[in-house]
Amino acid sequence: MKNSHAQTGLDRTVAPPLLPIEHIQFVAPESSTLKNGAPLYWRYGLQNQTSKIELHFAAGSAFPDPLTASLCAGLLINGSKNRNAKQIQKALDSVGAYYDVSLGQDNCVVSLYALNSQLLKAYQIFHESLFEAQFAQKEIDQLVHERKQKFKIQAQKVNFLAQRLFQRNLLAGSVYAQQIQLKDFDRADRAAIQAFHVTHYLNGLQKVLLIGDFDQNIITSFIHLLNAYKMFEGKRLPFTWKPDLGAIHHEHPGALQSAVRIGRPLFNKTHPDFIAFSVLNTIFGDYFGSRLMSNIREDKGYTYGIGSHIVENQQFGYFVIGTEVGEASRTATFHEIQYEMERLQKELVPQEELELVKSYLLGQLLKSADGPYAMLDLFANVEVHGLDLHFYETYITEIKAVSAEKLQELAVKYLNWGEMLIISAG
Amino acid sequence: MIQFERFTLANGLRVLFHNEPSTPMAVANVLYDVGARDENPNQTGFAHLFEHLMFGGSKHIPDFDAPLQAAGGQSNAFTSNDITNYYDVLPAHNLDTALWLESDRMLSLAFTPKSLEVQRQVVIEEFKQRYLNQPYGDAWLHLRPLAYKKHPYRWATIGKNIEHIETATMDDVRAFFAQHYHPGNAILCIVGNFDLNFVKEKVDYYFGNIPGKEKIIRNLPQEPKQQRFRKKIISRKIPSDAFYYAFPMGGRMDASYYLADLLSDHIANEKTGLLYTELQRKKKLVSEITAYITGSLDNGLFVITGKLNPGRTFEQLDAALWQTLDKYTSRPISKSVLEELLLKMQTAKAFQDQGLLNRAMNLCFFELLGDAQFLNEEADHYARIQPAQLQHFAKAIFSKNRCSLLQIQAK
Repeated sequence: MKNSHAQTGLDRTVAPPLLPIEHIQFVAPESSTLKNGAPLYWRYGLQNQTSKIELHFAAGSAFPDPLTASLCAGLLINGSKNRNAKQIQKALDSVGAYYDVSLGQDNCVVSLYALNSQLLKAYQIFHESLFEAQFAQKEIDQLVHERKQKFKIQAQKVNFLAQRLFQRNLLAGSVYAQQIQLKDFDRADRAAIQAFHVTHYLNGLQKVLLIGDFDQNIITSFIHLLNAYKMFEGKRLPFTWKPDLGAIHHEHPGALQSAVRIGRPLFNKTHPDFIAFSVLNTIFGDYFGSRLMSNIREDKGYTYGIGSHIVENQQFGYFVIGTEVGEASRTATFHEIQYEMERLQKELVPQEELELVKSYLLGQLLKSADGPYAMLDLFANVEVHGLDLHFYETYITEIKAVSAEKLQELAVKYLNWGEMLIISAG
Repeated sequence: MIQFERFTLANGLRVLFHNEPSTPMAVANVLYDVGARDENPNQTGFAHLFEHLMFGGSKHIPDFDAPLQAAGGQSNAFTSNDITNYYDVLPAHNLDTALWLESDRMLSLAFTPKSLEVQRQVVIEEFKQRYLNQPYGDAWLHLRPLAYKKHPYRWATIGKNIEHIETATMDDVRAFFAQHYHPGNAILCIVGNFDLNFVKEKVDYYFGNIPGKEKIIRNLPQEPKQQRFRKKIISRKIPSDAFYYAFPMGGRMDASYYLADLLSDHIANEKTGLLYTELQRKKKLVSEITAYITGSLDNGLFVITGKLNPGRTFEQLDAALWQTLDKYTSRPISKSVLEELLLKMQTAKAFQDQGLLNRAMNLCFFELLGDAQFLNEEADHYARIQPAQLQHFAKAIFSKNRCSLLQIQAK
């Protein structure tokens, strides 16, 4: 190609000028209300033929029996009155559809993916399977057997052990602390699964997210089918917890690394400190250049990775640091984490670092808002807390405005080593 | 169909540009034609260790990540046995920052003994975290040298053993850079809402004056055709016995690649595939089983792997597996099943192609294969497959004499 005269002007030591993000457009989905009161949100205007329907059921593992919730979720797409599991799967295959059943603590989300010409057909198959679910004893037995084997493998992983120990202690006193134990699998109960299915699925649809370019007839057909769900009448107990803080080490003989979880109760998006704390959390441990990564990975080489996160549920939130470190570096890692917490309490975050993190967060928000799928996820992430897309306008304003002093104040309030639950397994 | 433009700089840098008007973001993806297969057998794990060093600062820029983060972007990379791929995703109006950073580290790295020391430790922890401290984590460290005797695929990207990483020196690092990191050995792809002339001007501005170098022609030892069945048994503290059957297949550009891909999808299909219905449900020999292909550039592997149920033996599984494969190859699959498989593939591809980064990586990868346009021709290759071809291929690949079997026994 022709040589550019501009080349002579290149001074590689000088960074190109940066432009700020001027504007991010947040677009709310279309919405309508199903017969049982659940909202249907719909996004269209895609650049391609993909489509997806996501059904949120009040069927999470925190509803008193995690084993029943887990088995019921595992058997949702497993045959109907006239078709067995294999025939249902074949029917989904014939329209080229994929599905995913994701069991969380608050709810269970079923996602169906297909080309937009096939999604309604895929949903019809799922609908038949869900409404006519048989829960045959031999299917339950098969699933229980597979889950047991998987559980035994998981129980060998220090990461799994540390995560469970962390949740059990942090969420102590709440239904969220319940966990499936290996022996629980032997008391799988078909009647309980059937009852759970009626209360939490057939009567448990909370919302539907639909994405794809469909004409109105297709939307009407979806709504017609979705109107079959009944109102949720199950009860959710009011949330209370009594975290067991302190330090616990779980000895796992032969481990080469320890998995670490350190954290404390916090809050979710509904709390006034949430946005400013997100900035503090990013500086501390939530991006590649964070204090934890710079110190514990990039300076000391103790770990392949370390990070901190705010975990949100519908009724609560918590703060957690996670890593896996060589056995010899475990104590030293604890010291460095404590040091980094105290440094944020004692010293103001330098202006340059603060500006960098602000720009980084706004860039990441721009990315999270890129395209209909991402935008619908952004919407769902606030809708679940009873908020709307204005949250992100506030997020931008607050991030731009937050000062080093404010962050120090939050560090003093929330990042006290003595108030942490400290778990290690290794 | 992914539209793109292509141009080459005088120094040999191949550049692809894909215009996507709907996004405020941009991707700069740089693929270097170097992977673990290019390593010295006595210095394995080097391509991957080197990938870590690429974030340790370059000649004129002390820190790679900070300027990109300040521009609202982020970066990462991966190393495979074939390639090393770096990518930056950032707001489109700050594209310059990514090009400035990528061009400077292509020009020259600023290695320091400290950065080598730390990244060596980080990679050792990665080795433990991903391979040694996980149940079944070291399976591929044993399967590779069983299935490959000559070709450098006989070691994993992380390396043969930790010692190779522990003994890497500054001189090794410099030599590796000099040999593999230059414009002629790289492919750059830019995706975003830009004008072609703008992209040409920017790329030339940042990359144009990096000196070109002769591309070294790769001359790897090819794997001789396997003649006899191979087996290795190892014992580990794990809850269930595991098995890995590996069958040699062609490379990524071989016509049989598409057959192997479709075949693995078919026999491993959830709930309807033969491996599941016969071995997991009917005969209750396994608690899980699947099949996949490695998809490597040179001759790859078709793998069937799973875990035994308690009380079942490797011998029972072995007899039943061969019986199942025989049954599969005894008759061609129906036209309608083939159409279903293709529709599923088409759906999966439509979802993958949504992502900007995915498009950028794929364009670079296919350009490395010879022409980025191959990406748009993939679907036709699959669509041309006939049931009889698939059957014929399955018969040929599932040969006991050409099988390598790794068994991991519970201690």
